Amino acid sequence: MEKIILFLTVLCCALTSCTKEKTDYEAEIDTIVPERSGFKEVTQFQSGAYTIRIDALGGNLYKGYNKVHVKISGQGQAPVSAATLLPIRNGGTAQAHSCPHSYQLTYNAGQGYFEGYMVFTEASDPLSQWDLHIGYTADQPYRVVQQVPVQEQDNKNLGMTSFTDRDGAQYILALIAPQKPKVAENELVAGLYRFDTPTAGATAPFPDPAQFSYSEVQGYTILLDPRMPEPSMGNHSSPNNKDLLHGADNLYHGVVNYTMTGNWTLNLILHNQQGDLVRGTVVPDDFTPGVVGVKSELHIDILF
Amino acid sequence: MRRIALVIPVLIASYGLRAQDRTLQSDTTTVLQEVKVKAKAKKKIKTDLKLAVSVDEFLASSQSISFIKRGAYAWEPMLNNMSSERSAVTIDGMHIFGACTDKMDPVTSYVETNNLSTVDIKSGQEGSLHGSTIAGSIDLQRENTAFGLDKKVGGNYQTGFEFNNKQFFNLAALSYSGQKFAADGSISFRQAENYYDGNNKEVKHSQFNKFNSSVGLSFKTGERSALRVDAIYDKAKDVGFPALPMDLWLSRALITSASYKQLFEDGIIQLWDTKIYYNAIEHYMDDTTRPENLVHMDMPGWSTTYGLLSKIALQRDSYRSEIQLNAYDNLSIAEMRMYPQDRSNRTMFAYSWPWVTTRFASLSNTNSWDLSDRSHVVLGGSLGVNYNYSKYAEFNWIFHPGAPQEKTRILPGLHASYHIDIAPFTLSAGAGYGHRAPSISEAYGYYIYNSFDRYDYIGNPNLGNEVSYETNASVGYQTGRMGIQAKVNYFYIQDYIVGKILNMGSPMNYQSVGVKGYTALDHANIFNLALSAHYDILTHLHWKGSLTYARATDGSGGNLPFIRPISYQTGLQYMYKRLGIQTSLQGDAAQRDYSPEYGEDKTAAYQIWNASADYTLPARKVNMTLQVGAENILNAYYSTYADWGNIPRMGRNIFTSLKINF
Ligand SMILES: [Cu+2]
Repeated sequence: MEKIILFLTVLCCALTSCTKEKTDYEAEIDTIVPERSGFKEVTQFQSGAYTIRIDALGGNLYKGYNKVHVKISGQGQAPVSAATLLPIRNGGTAQAHSCPHSYQLTYNAGQGYFEGYMVFTEASDPLSQWDLHIGYTADQPYRVVQQVPVQEQDNKNLGMTSFTDRDGAQYILALIAPQKPKVAENELVAGLYRFDTPTAGATAPFPDPAQFSYSEVQGYTILLDPRMPEPSMGNHSSPNNKDLLHGADNLYHGVVNYTMTGNWTLNLILHNQQGDLVRGTVVPDDFTPGVVGVKSELHIDILF
Repeated sequence: MRRIALVIPVLIASYGLRAQDRTLQSDTTTVLQEVKVKAKAKKKIKTDLKLAVSVDEFLASSQSISFIKRGAYAWEPMLNNMSSERSAVTIDGMHIFGACTDKMDPVTSYVETNNLSTVDIKSGQEGSLHGSTIAGSIDLQRENTAFGLDKKVGGNYQTGFEFNNKQFFNLAALSYSGQKFAADGSISFRQAENYYDGNNKEVKHSQFNKFNSSVGLSFKTGERSALRVDAIYDKAKDVGFPALPMDLWLSRALITSASYKQLFEDGIIQLWDTKIYYNAIEHYMDDTTRPENLVHMDMPGWSTTYGLLSKIALQRDSYRSEIQLNAYDNLSIAEMRMYPQDRSNRTMFAYSWPWVTTRFASLSNTNSWDLSDRSHVVLGGSLGVNYNYSKYAEFNWIFHPGAPQEKTRILPGLHASYHIDIAPFTLSAGAGYGHRAPSISEAYGYYIYNSFDRYDYIGNPNLGNEVSYETNASVGYQTGRMGIQAKVNYFYIQDYIVGKILNMGSPMNYQSVGVKGYTALDHANIFNLALSAHYDILTHLHWKGSLTYARATDGSGGNLPFIRPISYQTGLQYMYKRLGIQTSLQGDAAQRDYSPEYGEDKTAAYQIWNASADYTLPARKVNMTLQVGAENILNAYYSTYADWGNIPRMGRNIFTSLKINF
């Protein structure tokens, strides 16, 4: 009898092992979305008696939105009271230009570093690179330039797009969150910036910040219509999304629902404070299997 | 014996299944037989027309069961015209949950006729003994050979061929009965190709292959106690579902249990039977056989259940009672992976059942008092607790933001009935009240494509319980040569769960036309009437006839879907020595009260004529029966109200079978 029961137990174990393995859902998203946890060093260099260290998420700068920590310290030197940051792209055929950035860095006393951001519009390439022009004030003002590598964005959920409105003003829209979307409701955060076209020629030696200024656009509305462009998905969309509205942190906040993993497009329509259309087109909402989804003229692609 | 029969309400026991004749074959009796060491030949599972049937064909011979058919295999049983989530379908009281979001694998698809002894069908709240229900319960009871029978070794073998779909089957069962040890074993193979409809047109993707085997071992552990272990292994491979956009590649079930029975001689307690069980199901669909599909999808599903069942039977004088504890834990998982047209692109993934756990426990009780020799009263109730947990609740939150990840419900049930026997009349009347929890798909399903109305269905975790109020009555008249019976029941169901079009979201499955969300109607009404009669024209010539009528509406007067139109069956049976001849005519009237809202169109009336003849060979030790017959002799082209996507039913089918009992 014991033998029979033993035999049955062994048989049960053999039969209950599944033919196909279940999907490891957590790993499913990890394979395509790089994990960038924690601020790590991008570069560190000397400026006279001071050491400047720039940290970013994962230790790299990417095309798109980058939050940075800038730590300026010198043994026995006067404390740094203020710092500025100006990224300039040099080389290539284009003339020197910048990208959205926080020129005046804010000091985080608790952590002992300055905080700011840069929204790189291109990655570095052999012909043109990004220089960071850093100015800081201790016992006297100092200036220093450091070239930094900017990599192509490998997270397909932190895309950006640039466009111009009817008056020729140049805008940049960059996704900030979610870094790692889920098949769920996702808090969607984006930064919207406009190039401040200089009204006069340079008055200061290069680089004159007034020639390279961007401002955070306030009070606009970004209408959101997420869809799956893959032909087999037939222009599939999701419910309960919320348009992006300007928040107290000068960023735009909304909600995007992804109903499954894969390729998505955030179709956007930008309206200004008066509710006038700035950019973007309405996309069809009918279900069209086998047809590649039409995208708004203002859109950002997603993949997770 | 009559007293025992009364334990289970007669009204239900006589519901039309011949093999189930007097639910005497219930556990209680089987065990009592063990004590008395008296063997009683069991009625075999067969229909009037066919000696060798499938489980589905057998169930179809019950008046209270109708089927939603998606092909030739694994029909979804509807009890009292209600879909399978409203009834409790169990195997020896064990709960099993299919692993298919498209209902390709009802519980009834995991057994085979040669390992069943009987099917116990109870209507409405009388079925709440095994767990909460609205429509009733279907308990598939397995062969269970008693100890110490005179005949130590028994067995049967059935083989046959059905010409329409070239179905070839081989079923064998063996039993052993010793003083201390008893065993049952069975093995079966069925293989069928595509069937042909009444226009002799091949219905593509209607083939099936099924393997089923079971083993049960009983050990006598004492004078009045026994231990039994049981296992069923079922494998269906390459099964076509012509009404669905995909087929089944493989479905496997392992159903195991161990039970301990203790009988008591003196005192009010008669029997205590406790069982623990485990079953695991895996289900893998396949759409690679359908080149017309634009999108390739993988849709695997898994369902694992652990459970406990403990039953005590009490008796004192004219009072009998059964108390049963049920508990189970089920985990259901279903995945959906879509492949892009350019296969180098990333696949798309979602859960259609996001790892949903269901835990259920209930205590139920049925009591019967004999008021006199001719009348008795049945009173029963159950109280259940149902707990659900969705592991990846973020899927549910897309359509139902903020819905709770876990939910606990209380599911009460009550029923009462009165039965009286004033020869030649038998009368009964009863009432019931009960709750059920929404099914996994109804509460947590996510983009489950329904190819009937072509909508993607979204579950709603906020759904409340469905609450049923029912009444039923029956009248029977029986003389020596004839009998007639009428049964009616009426259900008023509050918060009846249906799918309604959502004006948000958009389809995910490419054949889909929109998204429906499960929601509760204020109420629904379901009325069922079943008439049956028999008459012995001559000693060896018998007539039988039956008629059913049902009507079901939602609160606002609209029709509910899948309600059987008027259906009838009339048959003659003639026996001469070893020869038996039977013929029957059956059909449905036109479906007058169909529901366009739920994707139904009007189904025309149909009528089919069947006949068969069997001959039992003169042999001493073995009993050998040969049968030849034909279903749908006139090769009518038809489809019924419950044929998914209006797929045509089988045309003329000539069947042959050989059955050997020893
Ligand atoms: Cu399936």
